[in-house]
Amino acid sequence: MSQVVRAFRPVVDNDKCIRCGNCQTFCPEGTVLLTGEGVIHDYRYCTGCGICANECPVGAIEMVREGAG
Amino acid sequence: MSFTRMMEGNEAAAWGVKLSRVEVIPVYPITPQTELISAIASMIASGEMKAQYIKVEGEHTAMAAAIGASAAGARVFTSSAAQGILYMEEALWMPPGMRLPIVMCIVNRALAPLGGLRPDHNDSLLQRDTGWIQLYCENSQEVLDTIIQAYRIGEDRRVYLPVAVCYDGYFVSATATPVTVPGQEEVDRFLPPYKHELYSLMPEDYRRPQWGTNIARARYEVQKAMERAKGVIEEVDRSYRASFGRGYDGLLEEYSCEDAEAVLITMGSMTGTARDVIDEMREEGRRIGLVKMRCFRPFPSEELREMAKRYHAIGVVDRNTSYGSAGGGIIALEIARALYPLDDRPLLLDFHVGLGGSDVTMNQIRYMADRVLEALDRGKVEEEVEWVELLDLGEVM
Amino acid sequence: MDKEKIFEEHYKRSLIRAGTACCPGCGGPLFWRMALEALGPKTIIYGDGPCAYCAIRNILVPTLGIHFSFVADGATGIAAALAAKGRDDITVVSSAGDGATADISFNKVSAAAERNENIIQICIDNEAYMNTGIQKSGLTPFGAWTTTTPRGKETPKKRIPMILAQHRVPYVATVSVAYPADLKAKIAKAKGIRGFKYIHSVIPCPTGWRFDPAKSVEVVRLGVQTWAWPLYEVENGILRLTVKPKARPIEEYLMAQGRFRHLTKEEIELIQREVDEERHRLLEYDGKSIIH
Ligand code: SF4
Ligand code: SF4
Ligand code: SF4
Repeated sequence: MSQVVRAFRPVVDNDKCIRCGNCQTFCPEGTVLLTGEGVIHDYRYCTGCGICANECPVGAIEMVREGAG
Repeated sequence: MSFTRMMEGNEAAAWGVKLSRVEVIPVYPITPQTELISAIASMIASGEMKAQYIKVEGEHTAMAAAIGASAAGARVFTSSAAQGILYMEEALWMPPGMRLPIVMCIVNRALAPLGGLRPDHNDSLLQRDTGWIQLYCENSQEVLDTIIQAYRIGEDRRVYLPVAVCYDGYFVSATATPVTVPGQEEVDRFLPPYKHELYSLMPEDYRRPQWGTNIARARYEVQKAMERAKGVIEEVDRSYRASFGRGYDGLLEEYSCEDAEAVLITMGSMTGTARDVIDEMREEGRRIGLVKMRCFRPFPSEELREMAKRYHAIGVVDRNTSYGSAGGGIIALEIARALYPLDDRPLLLDFHVGLGGSDVTMNQIRYMADRVLEALDRGKVEEEVEWVELLDLGEVM
Repeated sequence: MDKEKIFEEHYKRSLIRAGTACCPGCGGPLFWRMALEALGPKTIIYGDGPCAYCAIRNILVPTLGIHFSFVADGATGIAAALAAKGRDDITVVSSAGDGATADISFNKVSAAAERNENIIQICIDNEAYMNTGIQKSGLTPFGAWTTTTPRGKETPKKRIPMILAQHRVPYVATVSVAYPADLKAKIAKAKGIRGFKYIHSVIPCPTGWRFDPAKSVEVVRLGVQTWAWPLYEVENGILRLTVKPKARPIEEYLMAQGRFRHLTKEEIELIQREVDEERHRLLEYDGKSIIH
């Protein structure tokens, strides 16, 4: 199983999230899920494309530079 | 119930396909195989035969559809000739590597330009490196029998390779010779239904061969399958003889070879004419025999080596050209390689003849046989390669 | 349940695993994710797309691919094998990219349509030969930069969906990953129809179209909103526009992508005129037969 090399990773603020599901609908890899406990990401395969952040209507997902703490 | 009547090669092929209970038939017309696909269409239209008959838009698609159907678990047949085979070539490479036992008739026809409607063998011989088993038939009966055998050979788990059943356009495809058509129950006993152990595209049972990353290994597997196919071809032919009372001696047939010192090697319909000439010459006390090459792929190297111990001169009748080759036609080149390791090699003469579909006449065969015996007497070959049609043999054309 | 397990189950349910070989932001896996939801597990997929097998090899239903010069042909064989075995519970999908569909194998798609093969033919259209490194195809739009059209393509995109509709097949539809409900409804409908169905999806290709991958869905949404990529279906010859947005200027779509950045004002106006004409035509025929 190859790990993805990625410049940015999506980080969700589940307090901001309004549970619309857009991130899950438009993620090409299927690596973001809206669950009962809020939004989760599968960092094993997430390519860091940023679509989930871009499609989020309330800006609940932020793209954070990898290795930046 | 079996019955016997006169039948052209194409009609005999259609019977072979019907008796083999083929399920999917993607085809595209080209002379001289068109009568074959029309005969199949009539059999399906009349309800005698049940198969999915797909009238595709070209030979490339015919082979691709055959691949899809074969991988999805259906027994498949297709056929073509000449330019059709060349147009199909990209697809032809797929079934061997994918290990799909498709059966195809190649109704040999000379290639354009410098061709015509009649046969030479370049169309099928050009596919020699693709991984298709190639069997060549002499007459209508052999066409029918070989198609049934071809499914047993290709679908054998030791083989899993596609089989080309080749026969000469016009001389076999459109010439009526007596054919005994076996009964369906007999054929059913001989040929079990198609079941591929490596493949299923059905969602409930999905499996496909995995080649891994070592491509050389996967290719080596195809090579091994080809080598195993020799034994299977012989075994299937023996079992066919036991079931139907007819057989073809597996890979090579030796005709009238008892105490012969030299042989001519032929392939396809010209063999019939050659038999007559050899019969005549034997009566004259000449010590020449005939070897019919039935199987060109896998190439019967060991069998030829065995023969080379008995015959001291070999004349190869090459109904093909290989421009600028190491010397002569494709069959002679292969035979030379097969015999090279022998310490005591026979003399080897090669003849180009029957090119562009012209007749291979009795005169020409006698000329070639004479040349082989002459070389034997002198103990050396004067001319390694001769173009027999360029010679004035006093033929009445 | 731990997170990895939740995701593994999610991938299984989606019939496509994460970790494709596609570029970040590629519309290909996104298309398949949506399509497979509508198709379900009793599906066999023949062919490739986009960018060869970058997404296909992660698909969990049976797949068979040969090479990109093989479109619809093998699917025809698979459908015939299923017919021979009386399996009418399985959907056969044939998939190909734009170059395969519109150029090298166009004869094959056309012939399968003419034979009315019982398959869903899908074109995953990234508007150029991307696998080989961005070369022009018959579906590259007018003006687009590719490595073989360094000054922009001189001729327009072939209207393949309309050409196939004129084959009088039962169903033709255009879809976009920016409109998931529309996409899934059309594929579900296609699945329920016997005969030849054609689905054409333009997918965003951040690598070849030159934009930030985060904008993938936004860019193709603009394609629909500007009517560069109208969404319609043709069922038994009757055209129906399924999404009718108020038209935004084409410039917004074009300027969102690097491949159109060199276009002059005049060229953009020309493209706008053509898009307007097509929009009017489509609106005029909406609800009517386009088969003459
Ligand atoms: S960054 Fe891209 S790949 Fe990662 S979860 Fe978001 S949409 Fe999916
Ligand atoms: S798109 Fe944003 S608001 Fe919607 S579910 Fe995802 S994180 Fe929450
Ligand atoms: S080049 Fe384009 S279509 Fe191909 S994988 Fe990358 S983004 Fe997808």
